[in-house]
Order: sequence, then C-alpha cells, then structure tokens
Amino acid sequence: MSKPSDLLQGTLDLLLLKILALEPMHGWAISLRLRSISREVLQVSEGSLYPALHKLEQEGWITAEWKQTENNRRAKFYSLTRLGRKELDSETANWQRLSTAISYIVQLKEA
Amino acid sequence: MRLEHWWFTLPLRLKSIFRRGRVEQELSEELQFHLEHRIEEGIANGLSPEQARQSALRDMDGLEQRKEEMRDMRRVHWLTDFVDDVRFASRSLRRTPGLSALVVITLALGIGMTSTPFSMVDALIFRPYPVPNPANIVSLVSTSRDNAFDTFSYREYLDVRGHTKSYDGVVASAPPEGVGFAEDKAATPRVRGGMMVSGNYFRVLGVEPRLGRGFRDDEDVVPGRDAVVVLGPDFWKNEFSSDPSVIGRTVRLNGHDFTVIGVAPPDFHGMWIFMRPDFYMPLAMAPVFSTNPQKRFFEDRDDRGLGLRARLKEGTTLVQAQSEMALLAQSFERDYPQVSRDRSAAVRTQFEMRTRGDDINWKMSVIFAILALAVLLVACTNVAGLLLSRARTRTREIAIRLSMGAGRSRLIRLLLTESLMLSIIGGLGGVIIGYAGIYMMSRFQIPSELPVTVPFRMDTRMLMVSLVLAIVSAVFCGLAPALQATRANLSSALKSADVDLPGVKTLWGRNALVIAQVSMSLMLLTAAFLMARSFHDSVDGGTTFAKTPLLMARFDPRLVQYDATQTQQFYKQLTDRAREIPGVESAGLTQSPPMGLDNFGSLEFAPDGLQMPKDRESFSATMDIVNEGFFETMGITLQRGRGFLASDTADAPRVAVVNEQFARHYWPNEDAVGKRIRLDRSNGVPVEIVGVAQTLKYRNTTESPLDFIYLPLAQRPTARMVLLLRTTTDPLQWVSPLRGVVHSLDASLPISETRTYADLYRYHAVEGPGVAIRLVGTLGLVGLLLASAGLYGLMAYNVSRRTREIGIRMAIGASRRDVLKLMMAKGVVLVGIGTGLGLVMGAGIEQLMNTMLFNAGRVDIGAYLIVVPSMFLVTMLATYVPALRASRIAPTEALRYE
Repeated sequence: MSKPSDLLQGTLDLLLLKILALEPMHGWAISLRLRSISREVLQVSEGSLYPALHKLEQEGWITAEWKQTENNRRAKFYSLTRLGRKELDSETANWQRLSTAISYIVQLKEA
Repeated sequence: MRLEHWWFTLPLRLKSIFRRGRVEQELSEELQFHLEHRIEEGIANGLSPEQARQSALRDMDGLEQRKEEMRDMRRVHWLTDFVDDVRFASRSLRRTPGLSALVVITLALGIGMTSTPFSMVDALIFRPYPVPNPANIVSLVSTSRDNAFDTFSYREYLDVRGHTKSYDGVVASAPPEGVGFAEDKAATPRVRGGMMVSGNYFRVLGVEPRLGRGFRDDEDVVPGRDAVVVLGPDFWKNEFSSDPSVIGRTVRLNGHDFTVIGVAPPDFHGMWIFMRPDFYMPLAMAPVFSTNPQKRFFEDRDDRGLGLRARLKEGTTLVQAQSEMALLAQSFERDYPQVSRDRSAAVRTQFEMRTRGDDINWKMSVIFAILALAVLLVACTNVAGLLLSRARTRTREIAIRLSMGAGRSRLIRLLLTESLMLSIIGGLGGVIIGYAGIYMMSRFQIPSELPVTVPFRMDTRMLMVSLVLAIVSAVFCGLAPALQATRANLSSALKSADVDLPGVKTLWGRNALVIAQVSMSLMLLTAAFLMARSFHDSVDGGTTFAKTPLLMARFDPRLVQYDATQTQQFYKQLTDRAREIPGVESAGLTQSPPMGLDNFGSLEFAPDGLQMPKDRESFSATMDIVNEGFFETMGITLQRGRGFLASDTADAPRVAVVNEQFARHYWPNEDAVGKRIRLDRSNGVPVEIVGVAQTLKYRNTTESPLDFIYLPLAQRPTARMVLLLRTTTDPLQWVSPLRGVVHSLDASLPISETRTYADLYRYHAVEGPGVAIRLVGTLGLVGLLLASAGLYGLMAYNVSRRTREIGIRMAIGASRRDVLKLMMAKGVVLVGIGTGLGLVMGAGIEQLMNTMLFNAGRVDIGAYLIVVPSMFLVTMLATYVPALRASRIAPTEALRYE
C-alpha cells in the first residue's frame, strides 16, 4: 500500500487542511482518519504524510503544539491557522470548479 | 516563502536555524510516536512484534530519507547544510593538520607573493588617471624617426588646440621641475617640485579644486601677466598645515610674487606615476621657470617639451582623432619644413603610453607578471597535488558515505567546502603577506628634493583580485579531486583505502603536475639567478666613482634672478674659490652626474663630411654640459685627445668631447679627434671633437652603451648645474666650508641636494634596482621552495601508493636494489622531461630579459649548471626516501598495507 493511488498533485494538502479544519489532531490520528473517511479508496503513504505536514507547517497554514494524548503520551497536535483557513477556502473553491468542469467533460455524450 | 506569510513563518525558520537540536529531536519523536502506534496496530492484527516493526518501517519508505525530506521542507537546509559542511570540513581538516597547514601556507605564499608584483604592475600600467571619466583621456604625441613619443612645442600646442575638433579640450603640461619656493621675500628659497600647465588644465581634466579655483583660460594667454599658483594637496597640508586662508596669499616662486588661487583636491596628485607636483603654474609664466635657454619658449616651434593630453568628445572614435592629428602634422611639415621635417603626430591611449617599448617600467612589469604567474601556477599545482593525494586516501571514506545514501552532489559540495575553507584561510594569509611585501616596497624612498613617490599600494581592486585568485584556485584545485573521488567504483573502493584503477588519465594528471613543478621552478630560478648576476656585474662596473670621495651640491641662480652673464660669472667664481678650500683636490660642474636622478638632454647633430642618409637631417646623442674640471674630478679617463680647457671660452672655436661608443659609431676605423660635427643639421654651427672619453653607464646600471657627447659650459651656458668637489677624506666635512664660499658670493642663493656622490649612487644605482632584484629573487626562492615541497609530496605519494606492489615484487624475489631502481627510474624520467621543458622556458625568459633589460645575446650557462642539478637532487631525494622505506617493509606487511 505504498504509492498514493491516483492522488492528484496538491490534493493531499487540501485533504490534510480539511481534516485539520474539523479538529486539531496528531499525525497518527490523521493517517487513521484519512483511511477511514475516504473508505480506504485514498491510500496516502505514511512516508509522504509527514513531509506534507511539515510543508504545511512551514507555509504557516497549520501550527503544531505538543500535548498529551488520551493515553497520556506526548504527541504533536496540528491545528489550522487563520491563514490555513483562507487557504482551505480558496483551495476548496478551486477544487469544486475543477471537479465540476471535469465531470462535465467526462459526461459528454459520444456522438 | 510568500511575503505575506513571513510573520507566521519567520519564527519557524529561526527555530529551524537556532534550535536545530530541539527541532531534530521533535522530528524523531513525532515519527517514533507514529511508528509505535503502527507497531501496536500490527501486533493487534496478529503479527509478531518483529514483523510488525518491519512492516511499519517499510510503510514509511525509509525513515532517514523521510527525515531528510522533512528537513528540506524547512527551506533553510542550504544554510544548515552549509553550517554542517563547514563544521565537518574543519573537523576533517584538523585530522590532517600537517597537510592542511601545508596547503594553507602554499596558497598564502602563492597569493601573497603574487599580489606584490601584481600591485606593481597595476600601479605602473593599469591604474587609471585620477580624474573623472579617465577612459576618454588620450595623449597626443609628436612622432619622429627616433622617437614615437615625442613632445610638442608651445606654438605647436596652440595649433593643436586651435585646429582639432575631436576633443572637449586639449591640455599641455611641462614635466615637473625644481622651483625655488619661499613664503615671503625674507625667507631663503627652498627647491620644490612645480609643474607648468595650460590654463584649461583643471577644467578639461574635470578636477574640481578643493579650495579656491583652478586656472582660467585667460590666465594662460599673455606671457608673464598672470602670476597665479594652484597648490597640490600634500604641499598644502605639509607647508601650510591645511590652512584655508592660504587662498589669496602671496608666495615667492623663483623670486617672483605669485598669488595662491586654489588647492587641488586630495585625490589628485597629477597625471604622473612617480611624480607628485607640489604646485601648478600657468604655461604663460614660463619665463620665470626653466626653459631651454638656447630657444625662445613662446616662439620657437622646435622648443619641444610639452606633454599634450586631450579629452575625446563623446562619439568620436580614436581612428577619427588619429586621422585628424595626422592631417594636422602634415600641415606642420608643409608650413614649417625646417623644424617639422619627417615629423608626424599620433593619438595614444593611456595604456599605449604606459606600455611603450622603451619604457623600463613596462619591461619590468612584463617580467614581474610572468614570474608572478609562474609562482602562482606552482602554488596551484602544489595545492592540486596535495588535495588530490588527500582525496585519494579518503576513497574508502567517500565510498562508505556514498553507499549510505549521501548524494554525489552533496559530497562534492562537502569536498569543495573543505578546499574553499583552505583557500580562504590561505587567501587571508596571502593578503597579509601581500601587504607586508607592498609595505616593504613602498618604504623604499628615493631621496630627492622633487616629490618622488613609489605608488605601489594594495587597493580594493588588488584585494578583489587576490580573493578571486583564492576562490578560483580552490575550485580548480578542489573540484577535480572531488569529481574523481566520488566517481569511484563503489565495490572496489570499499575494498581498499586507495584504489588506483590503472586509468591512463589519472596517472597522466599526476605526472603532468610533477613536470609542471619542475619546469616552472627551473624557469623561476633561471630568471632570479640571471637578474642577480647581471645586477652584480653592472654594479661592479660602476663602483669606481662611488669609491671616490665626492661632494655634490646643486645650484640654480635663476632662483634669485641672475641673468645669463651673472650666472656664468657665479659658476666661474664658485669653482675658483671652491678649489682653494684646503682639502679639495678639484672641482667640476655638470648638468647631472652619471647615474643621477635627472635626465640628460639630447643633442641633434650631423657629422661633418659624412653623407647623411637621404631621409634624415640629423642624428641624436645624449648630452651633458660640463666645465673644464669635470673629467678630472669624476675620474673619467680620456682615451684620446684632451678634455676641456679654460681657454675654450664662448669666443673660442666650438669644441666637444665624445665617448668611445660615439667615436666608434660614427668613425669606426678612424680617429675621432679632429673630426667635426655640426649642430642641428649639416649646415649648422661646426664643433670640433677634441677628446674621446671612456664609455660609462649614464642612466642606469643595466643600460646598453649610449652615444654620449660633452659640451663645455662656457660655450653652452646653462643655469642649473651640479658642483662636484673631489676631497681628500669624508666629503661631508666640506659641506660647511662650501656653504661659506657660496655665502660670500650671494647669501640668498639656495644650495640643494647637498650629499656625497656615493650616497646618490647607492640609492639610485644599487638600492633602486635592488628592490626589483630582491623581488625577483624572492619570487624565485619561494617558487623553488614550493616546487620542492610539492615535488617531494607528489613523488613520495606516488611511491607510497605502490607499497603493496613493492611487497608483491619483493615477495616473489625482487631485491631491494631492484625496487629502488624501479621507483627512481620513474622519478628520473619525469624530472628529465620537466627539466627539458624548464630549460626551454628558462631560455625563453632569458631571451626576454636580455632583450628587455640587459645587453642582448648573453647565454648564461652558469645559471643552468647550478639550477638543474639542484632540481635533480631534490627529486631524487623525494623518490629515494620513501622508496627506501617501502623496500624495508617486510613483504608480509606490505601486502596488507593499505
């Protein structure tokens, strides 16, 4: 399950931002959530998850904080920033435009 | 990073840089947290702990690579990598302190020794004029058959200025001369360097005076009307303590009142390399200053002596200006055939002016530049060799790094960082050495009343060149070994510390280094040896005068407004009374003693009874004007005929004494005594040759024999003369008796340049060239030292690399002698080739130096007899010692040797 299957360039960022918009969580929880909410369709390599998170953090879209988990272990919790919220909105809008356009095209009747 | 994000991202970047340890730890902890959960999940799914762990790691796609990827996300990795590289490099350099020190010292010496001669070349050739837009300043020269850089007369200057359209202005200046300067009438004048310039001088050159104003054009129109003077910056500072109220004050120049109107800016020291005028006077005041007494400055078109410079108009090309000048010169030739025959004119750039073939500075510059480049090359090959051997001994280390996932570019960068660090330290050392060298050079001062300076200094341009040299040498020396080392075949590299895959290319490279070292140092040594030897010869040739106890003193009665008759009378009385001082054996007068600081004049003449070549009116010879006591006082032998007599007065038939060279030149098989020459041209005043004197060195110790002619003072009256007194013991004891004599004749007359002739000779003929000789000698020595060290290193490395091979050879029965022979043979071949090449280059530089500085065609076998064997000795030693050591190792040990 290594290679991300058909994950469009840049969509991982969007997914991560969206997930973090729901609630702050740590990397492991994010990977579990990704698996479950996409119903195992989108398989994100765990290897590429962390570099992606780091990139978002360096962009200033998410911020990290070390906190205790429910099992009393220290973990790095990521949460969305104000900038990240704006980025999510604009990326979501982009995505919807794009997907609408693509679904129009693929639905064209062949003559 | 996007700009609007900086507020959020900056703290993260700073944290990445300054709290790296913490960030790294958090990185590990985060991934560890993930892994642990993943393992727990695996175990829950029924895997064994070990399997769960394996699977977790596998899903990460390589933990370390991911970490590296995340570090890259921080966007500061280039910086942190660099810091890592520097830290790592300094650690690895410290591991081999000897080698690192050697590289640094080599580079420091190479760069330091080069920057001294380069700054000299810069000062002599490349430094632009200290004026705005120096690039469009050109020099205008009059050209004749004998002189392609001749000067113009005042009349010609006016025509050039009036009839050319290519320029934004044409300025003229006379060479700096000694002027009697006094603050007021009561003070005794002191001799200072003044320079006559045209009225538009400061305006056209674009020099804004620091105080007051420059000359106006109308201040240079009426001869003798506008007695104004502009002070040089140093003179103003030293003489007037930078007093701004000096403007408007009256000073005395050569006994005339002059009004100070301005002070030149601090960065303008005139357009000369060696001379810094103390003050400037308008050309129209020429009657007050020294002009040729035989000519009328404002009238005679052949009273040449003015250097012309012009500022090219925007958009005018040199070619256009050139053809305009040539046309103008043709009209001169047409209108004034008597004085302008065979003369043309040309436009020359600053570079052309400074690189004229007959200029000793240019010749010196070429030689220095070649030698300096050779030293730099030796240093670079040295460093390349050292770094190469260093990189090769690290083949295994590099292979391990490569196999553990280090990128090739990252490794090359690391190796380059190492050599860059070496070169920067070396470069800094070089700058220090360079400064020291320049300091030593500029400490040498020529004692003279005229302000002579040695303009060598380290300026920012020189510093930049040095630093660029250092960096280029780092890349050059570090890149090749780095490329080679990282290209190594991993599996074979891992097996041995020092693989030497028998590639022809690598072997060729190292051999080429050895050959280059040998040949370069051979060339350097040849040059140093040649220069030192011929310098010694020439100094020995001139020491006869230097040993005579001679006191000299300079007089110029024009400083106190004597006319020609008074001047003649003064000199007559001066020599008569000086001779009467007890202890003075004889007294002589000359315009300039041999090897003095002044230039001799030249005389145009036509030998009587000799058919002049069709295309020329006259020949020219170097001339001195002397009195009857001169030859005896200086101790110059008269080979034939007589010297001058008191009876050779102005009314008596004109006479001259020529030197042997002159006599042989014009009357090769006849006695020159009794022959006649005519002044200026074949219908000029006849002069009889009455004596032939020995040929001396007149201007410098390395000149080739000159045609030289002496004229008697009485028949060619001159104002500025040097009195020479031959005394019984230390000449300086006669200074005050001489002062007494002068005082009794005229208390107001200044005496200048009072010193012994030996002193003058020592400074001008021994110590001046000595600076150059020392520089070349040091270059040669440093070159040899570097080459020997490099040679030793390379040869020793070559041999030690083959230790295993030696072990095998000895194990299968080779004797120690066989091994030694084998190892030495290669050294001999390489040194042989290097020597051959070095001899060729040495012969080349010898040719160059012979034609440029010394008498041509002297093949110096002695130099080679000393230089070649010493190079061989060094190489043999460098091969022998490690070869011996290798042959002593027990074969079993050698086989295991890495």
